[in-house]
Amino acid sequence: MLGSVSRGASRSAAGFLSLVLVAWASGGCRRETPAANESGLSAKKPVTLILGGYTTPREVYGKAILPAFQKEWQGTSGQRVQFRESYQGSSAQARAIVGGFEADVAVLSLEGDIDKIAQAGLITHDWKAAPHGGMVSTSIVVLAVRPGNPKKILDWPDLTRPGLNVLTPDPKTSGGAQWNINAMYGAALKGFAGVRKDDRAAAKDFLKRVFRNVSIMDKGARESITTFEKGVGDVAITYENEILIGRQAGQKYDYVVPRSTILIENPVALVDRYVDQHGVRAAAEAFVTFLHGPQAQSLYARYGLRPVEESVAKENASKLPAVQDLWKIDYLGGWKKVSQDLYGPEGAFTQVFSELGSKR
Amino acid sequence: MSAARPRRAEPLRRPWGLWGLRGAVLTYLALMIAVPLLAVIERGFSAGLRAFWRELANPIAFDALKLTVAAAAITAAVNLVLGTLTAYVLARYRFPGRGVFDSLVDMPFAIPTLVTGVMLVVLYGPSGALGSWFHAKGISIIFARPGIVLALLFVTYPFVIRSVQPVLLEAERYEEEAAFTLGANRWTNFRRIVLPAILPAAGSGALLSFARALGEFGSIVVVAGNIPRRTLTSPVYVFGEVEAHNERGASAMSVVLLALSFGLLLLLDWRQRRRAEVLGG
Repeated sequence: MLGSVSRGASRSAAGFLSLVLVAWASGGCRRETPAANESGLSAKKPVTLILGGYTTPREVYGKAILPAFQKEWQGTSGQRVQFRESYQGSSAQARAIVGGFEADVAVLSLEGDIDKIAQAGLITHDWKAAPHGGMVSTSIVVLAVRPGNPKKILDWPDLTRPGLNVLTPDPKTSGGAQWNINAMYGAALKGFAGVRKDDRAAAKDFLKRVFRNVSIMDKGARESITTFEKGVGDVAITYENEILIGRQAGQKYDYVVPRSTILIENPVALVDRYVDQHGVRAAAEAFVTFLHGPQAQSLYARYGLRPVEESVAKENASKLPAVQDLWKIDYLGGWKKVSQDLYGPEGAFTQVFSELGSKR
Repeated sequence: MSAARPRRAEPLRRPWGLWGLRGAVLTYLALMIAVPLLAVIERGFSAGLRAFWRELANPIAFDALKLTVAAAAITAAVNLVLGTLTAYVLARYRFPGRGVFDSLVDMPFAIPTLVTGVMLVVLYGPSGALGSWFHAKGISIIFARPGIVLALLFVTYPFVIRSVQPVLLEAERYEEEAAFTLGANRWTNFRRIVLPAILPAAGSGALLSFARALGEFGSIVVVAGNIPRRTLTSPVYVFGEVEAHNERGASAMSVVLLALSFGLLLLLDWRQRRRAEVLGG
């Protein structure tokens, strides 16, 4: 009986405990792991790559890209490659890798999360020196609406309409949610949200009016769109590819591309420390190169992502709607500045909920 | 008898055996419970008392705490009344299906709380079987505060019942029988004879469900909507702060939840000891 009481309390602490345990366990592993054997000796033995990914590209990797690379690697090196895959929210995945989840390749939603792994000393090479600045796929922030768009949602300002029910995930846990907020904040600053251009206070006020209409913040982009699929909400702010995949799976919704939106760029990096520990550098490097190549790029396109390789992007350009004003995170000063200006302790978004209060 | 007494006491005189067992149990307790708790407390106060208070004075954190305590209090109060009545019905009445009902009571412990949340959304969500009816009347349950209480009631359902039931089953029936022969009806009987006997157990059960409700995460995160200052509870707040790399804020809130639970536990322990003294004396 008494145990039940402490169970309730300790659950809230579970996050830390798991962190402590993971850190401890990984410390132990590091000491035990034998020196890497990366010579030709292992060439004929199957090699295992561990993929630490965020949630939305699960289908394109699991069903298309990994099998394609297996075939390619078998052909060029005669070695079989197996994958172990893990998918969770981008920030959570980055923290897991820092905490000791030994992913050889990190496939994350945003640059800042790869930086966290680099800051922990696990990525030692200049990952942005890779082709396309280390990015393998892109998408844009769009608005999912009910079939036929019954609420007539056409652009960002419509989200502030009183009584509308808007879905977006929690930016504390979801990379996608941060992309959404960046898109709205930037579009407002650029004068596309019905508020004065280049006015930070007005842009914050716009966010405030949108979030007055948000009654559910799920933990990740996938959970958020699943809630929308259950019939909850009038509009969901989300990745374009999330909608296209949902449609491929038979879901029925339309989407609206705002006049101004942000280009979401998803980075990939191999994690030097773990790659060398596992002795799989050759395969991991080939895999990352493969992701930038034309075959993987057209697979991304098939699963609703926008390719980074120009030739493939051109081929697929007609399939996806064009954007009037498409901009990158640099417009807001890059991720480092954004995490301060928007999500820091005094950030614009942090203030939104303090100021909205409990009664709306 | 007098010859048997020292022999029975003999194991206690073998100190190494006793210390071995006691040491093993205490080490286990320390490793499993005390050390992790201390780690959380240490983290919470790592930047000093002022930083600790600043984390909690943040309106989002403070409102989350208020909401959590209020929801847990409502849950405990409802459980106190309905749980006591349920236990009474289960212990004193015979009806078809009682056995099934009795084993259903424990089900909330066996179901993963995340599943509980999903189940409630399916049922009470705006497009759910019951939810659409409420929705038409303009009442929202899921993704609003009532959903939080609903989830907590489900998760803590067994506590009061399982505290009260054994007391009722073990109680001597003669007082109740005497009351009946003196003409008391069932209600008078329940109010004057049964209730005073089971009230301490019901109180313990209610305190336990309060403590359990404070820490509930899995079902809440699904049903609440998690909007800061409206439907964000403390455990979900803690999770968000961990994810956002604000470990100090997360630890500070954890320390408060811990202190509340621990305080209740002490209260419970003290009450039970006093009751034992009264009964024993």
